[in-house]
Amino acid sequence: MFDTLDVFGLAQARARHAAARQEEVARNVANADTPGYRARDIIAFEEAFRATGPRDRTPHLSLRTIDAGGPESPNGNTVSLEAEMVRAVDAQRDHNRALNVYRSAMNVLRTSLGR
Amino acid sequence: MSFSSALAIAASGMRSQASRISHVSENIANTDTPGYRRKTVAFEPDRSPGATPGAVITGPVRLDRTALPQVYDPSHPLADETGHYAGSNVDMVVELADARQAQRSYEANLRVFDQVRQMSSSLGDLLRR
Repeated sequence: MFDTLDVFGLAQARARHAAARQEEVARNVANADTPGYRARDIIAFEEAFRATGPRDRTPHLSLRTIDAGGPESPNGNTVSLEAEMVRAVDAQRDHNRALNVYRSAMNVLRTSLGR
Repeated sequence: MSFSSALAIAASGMRSQASRISHVSENIANTDTPGYRRKTVAFEPDRSPGATPGAVITGPVRLDRTALPQVYDPSHPLADETGHYAGSNVDMVVELADARQAQRSYEANLRVFDQVRQMSSSLGDLLRR
């Protein structure tokens, strides 16, 4: 687990994915009343991370945006504030979890160094 | 950095909703002004140089082109020979619904802003021991 410090790369990638997703949520919510705007999302983490593989020393994420879908209102806008709230909470939970993993791995390292 | 642009985007949403609600209050204040046409603003993507991609901005102010209602009041100073004058085309129900929608969208932006702030502060907490 600690020979190549994969866990840090993984936690970092997950946190970056959650942050990018939160940015898309912010963009969608800000454009909730813009005519013709289509809601967007980031591809799922599994998909984004599989593209490069966890063996990569510096895991590079492909944070592609996709159309989030959803019903279209008469002015062509597809943002649903409720769906965005769910997505925002999801992103926040993912981010917190990734940071907690990072912190606890760091604690293990610190303990093994006797600090 | 994705946090700072997320914050900028949420702030642009709040700014646009605030400008929308200021036009709503202008309309409501002028409900009884003779000849007043209701003002509307549409949202559009912010394409000004230096703007964060995906930020929103309010477009130019447009006037509602619905015909002004003819109000019958012979004692009114603006009344013509038939006793009618042009009222305003503000519909109170539409304005109140618009105000409520603006409030709802504003709160959603505010929540996103707060959540991004929390995420970035918990990231900063990693630096502390």
